[in-house]
Amino acid sequence: MQPFELKTPASLEDAIKELPSERSYTAPQPIAGGQDILTVMKDDIEAPASLVEIGHLLSSEISEEPGGLTLGAGATIQDIADHEGVRSGFTALAEAAASVASPQIRSQGTLGGNLNQRPRCPYYRHSAVSCFKRGGNVCLAEFGFNKYAAILGGGPSYFSHPSDLATALMALGASVVIVGPEGERTVPIADYYVGPEEALDRETVLEAYEVVTKITVPRPASGARTTYYKFKERDSYDFALGAAAISLRVEAGTIAEARVVLGGVAPRPWHSPETEAALVGKPMNAETWKSAGEAAVADAVPLDMNGYKVHLVKGILHRALESLA
Amino acid sequence: MSQPRIPAAEPSWGKRADLDVLNRDIPRIDGPDKVTGRAVYTHDVRIPGMLYAALLRHPVPRALVESIDVSAAEALPGVVHVLQVKEAGDELRYSGDDSVLAVVSAETPEAARDGVRAIVVKAENLEPVVDTERAKEADAPLVNYRRRADSNVAGSRARGDEEKVKGAIDASAKSVEVSVEIPTQHHVCLETHGHVIHPKGEGERSVVYASTQMVSQHGGQLVRPLGLENGQGDKVHVLTPHMGGGFGSKFGAGVEGMLCARIARETGRPVHLMLSRADEFAMGGNRSGSKQTLKLAGDADGKFTAIHVVAERHGGQGGGAFAGAPYQYEVPEVYLDAKSVKTAADSNRAMRAPGHPQASFGMETAVDMLAYETGVDPLTIRKRNLAAKMQRRQLDRVAAEIGWDEHPNKLAPGVPENGIGVGIGFGVCRWTPGGRRARCNVTVRPDGSVVSATATQDLGTGARTYVAAIVAEELGLEVGQVTARIGDSDLPPNVASGGSVTTGSSAPAIKDAAHNAREALEALLEDVLGAEVGDYVWKAGRVHAVGDPERSLAWKEVCALLRQPLEVSGQFQQSLYEGRILGAQAAKVEVDTMTGRVKVLKMVAIQDQGLPLNRMALRSQINGGMIQALSYGLLEQRVFDKEDGFLLSDNLQLYKIAGAQEMPEMVSIIDDSEERDSVCGMAEAPIIPGQSAIANAIYNACGVRMTRMPFTPDNVLTAIHGSV
Repeated sequence: MQPFELKTPASLEDAIKELPSERSYTAPQPIAGGQDILTVMKDDIEAPASLVEIGHLLSSEISEEPGGLTLGAGATIQDIADHEGVRSGFTALAEAAASVASPQIRSQGTLGGNLNQRPRCPYYRHSAVSCFKRGGNVCLAEFGFNKYAAILGGGPSYFSHPSDLATALMALGASVVIVGPEGERTVPIADYYVGPEEALDRETVLEAYEVVTKITVPRPASGARTTYYKFKERDSYDFALGAAAISLRVEAGTIAEARVVLGGVAPRPWHSPETEAALVGKPMNAETWKSAGEAAVADAVPLDMNGYKVHLVKGILHRALESLA
Repeated sequence: MSQPRIPAAEPSWGKRADLDVLNRDIPRIDGPDKVTGRAVYTHDVRIPGMLYAALLRHPVPRALVESIDVSAAEALPGVVHVLQVKEAGDELRYSGDDSVLAVVSAETPEAARDGVRAIVVKAENLEPVVDTERAKEADAPLVNYRRRADSNVAGSRARGDEEKVKGAIDASAKSVEVSVEIPTQHHVCLETHGHVIHPKGEGERSVVYASTQMVSQHGGQLVRPLGLENGQGDKVHVLTPHMGGGFGSKFGAGVEGMLCARIARETGRPVHLMLSRADEFAMGGNRSGSKQTLKLAGDADGKFTAIHVVAERHGGQGGGAFAGAPYQYEVPEVYLDAKSVKTAADSNRAMRAPGHPQASFGMETAVDMLAYETGVDPLTIRKRNLAAKMQRRQLDRVAAEIGWDEHPNKLAPGVPENGIGVGIGFGVCRWTPGGRRARCNVTVRPDGSVVSATATQDLGTGARTYVAAIVAEELGLEVGQVTARIGDSDLPPNVASGGSVTTGSSAPAIKDAAHNAREALEALLEDVLGAEVGDYVWKAGRVHAVGDPERSLAWKEVCALLRQPLEVSGQFQQSLYEGRILGAQAAKVEVDTMTGRVKVLKMVAIQDQGLPLNRMALRSQINGGMIQALSYGLLEQRVFDKEDGFLLSDNLQLYKIAGAQEMPEMVSIIDDSEERDSVCGMAEAPIIPGQSAIANAIYNACGVRMTRMPFTPDNVLTAIHGSV
């Protein structure tokens, strides 16, 4: 880690003034819980000249209204996992929060940081590597060790997005509230993430001079049930090998509405309308789950070592849907 | 005081029923220090004026160094010393200790790491040759650096008459063939390798804090880099007060120790050089990988007739380890061709039962396959082909404990329901723990305090506790009344901890010293209590003459008879040691064939050994063996990028070890059926068969034969569906 200056502005406005106009290896970055940025710096992936402390400036409140939830970006992941209202009305989000990393990291890491975390591809995280995501001109995972890489939406870079909360929030139709020098803007989370085909130096539409302040989540429709099924290679502590966030409304044994977002299989949380189409109007049974799984991976392009994910996604969808039956 | 008399009797462990301290659960005496953080490990040593050293390693195995510019590092504030290990023109030949380019020593660890980052290296990277398949190709660069070597395949040795064995296989009623693949495993000691070395001036001894498995022998290796002459090992004082694991990886000072000593000499300051976790993965050692193709044949009843094994050892620059064939079972006709495939990866090192878990996985897989092929259940076929009656009984015991009797899938694997299957598998183990010369001193002071001292080391096994407990037993004291002193090269010499020799060597020496102390005290008692040496009972803090509890003294009263401390020594006694142990294990797993998830539900191990010195520590060792084998089977795998040679698994995110969620219900059974009047170590045996039992349980659950470790979802799903 390179030495850096820690700035502790008194207001969010002041904090934003400290942020740079563009991203670069040494450009200042915000820090709240520090669970991702510090690892990025320790691995010499980036070396910001200064870190701008925003943890004390962000709301950590989780408020529940009839229309839905508002979560301050400073809420810790454990706060979200423990919140009664989240657990009862927004199950997928609570399950996603509880599935993240370890108790220590959940208690320190924030919602905003989780949504904006950087890839976990072993090449990206290796100090000696230069790749597309680090300003280089190759994706080493494409032809190298790609067991954990994307099978959907990959190219030119093939990492799989690590955020559990993003996957769940996308299934719940959340929005991201962003503050920058020009004021506040709100972006549906479905439009928040950008794939490598659009940009390689970032994973979101967030500009270097902006900060995520809040997430709003509409209350699921009456009768809808939601779940986040995270499949880890190591149950104790791991990122998702694959995951499914599902919001489902079943009427008289038939699926009336479905929203499906896959995690751990694409460079961004992967909304899968194909899976939804295979579910809606069908009976809630194993045969439907099977065809939903097949629809989910119909366009998958596996690399040398991640073909198993094609089968894994089908298995995950089966288990996730089974849990909602 | 009068000289102690010649011992009147040989020391003996006595009848188990008479023991008050040993063969019971003894909480480890350093437990409170460890859980409260009071225990000082090498990593924790701080000495005024100490420098922190950090290594710069080249990130790929093979390269030609063009230039190394350390000037910017030297100019950094806080950087005191930069040792350039490689020069322009040097060839880097393999990953690990040959990759160390420079060492930066500074006033703080941060400044040392800043210094490492400031060094500018230019190098031409060469083809890495980290993949054994590539290494075997005719046009692969030669990474077998032994003199006159012309191939990366080395050490090929065939044993047995191949034609005869093939004929026997063809003539047999049943046969199976299987190829297995086992990746490289790391020791992953919680405490990384390293030293703190405090150089002293003329006439004073240098002090070396080392995380080492051989405190008695460690100093000799450091004399040269410390500027001493060979044979001046006594001028180096080695201390290992506490140790965070070794598992076979910490024999000797290593390159990092040599460099630490050299920097200490050059700077004249204490130097703290502990490997970072990434360094540890790159150069701290590993268990070699293996590929094996086995053909096993048997008669219609499942009695083995012949085995043909072709095996590769994948030890990087090392020879690799493989325990041979047939492994453990009786097979009349044997052909074995085992060879080593060298790569430019760092050398394998000893690791808890070197070569045995690999051999177990191949053999137990073949045995299991032949069972189903023959229509003899996997428990029966094992019993039918094991020579030792004890082991057959042990198999029955673990089978009963795991629920084999009521388990439905005996002659054929189960058919998963809704994708889920539950299965049971078995494996066996055997070990010959050593016993070698070791010494121990016991000191009894007039104030009643007792010290038991020997230069062994406690790798985390609980060895420290029996150093006190054996003496407490002999003198009728409680464990807490005896102070154990270990981890100091000034103490009476003891063995390096390898091959499960620690207990077999130390315990007899401690027992002998305790016995001598007791007899010396009894000699003093002759005038007081009237009985002869050997005619006393030491129990519950008192001593009395045999048959006369009225003639008795309290421990403190006995010690008050001493005019000066009583110091006696003891040494290894062959009669107190015997080393041959057998064991068996069973695993019960649940497999989700839809996701490839393997969940181990239960593991059972039974292990025989000599007298259990501390039953709690013994069960811990059996549990630890099961846990390490489970982690090996389910998760662990070193990963190199084959193209560029980066060690990708140089961190605990990608090099996954099992955590709390992976732990099954574990049943550790101490086999007390043979009350041997001897002591030996045992910790290597229980690590051997766990992954084999798990693989066999997976097959039993759902009919998927796992031939490739680890049994991660990708490998399980690929075994089910084939490659996509």
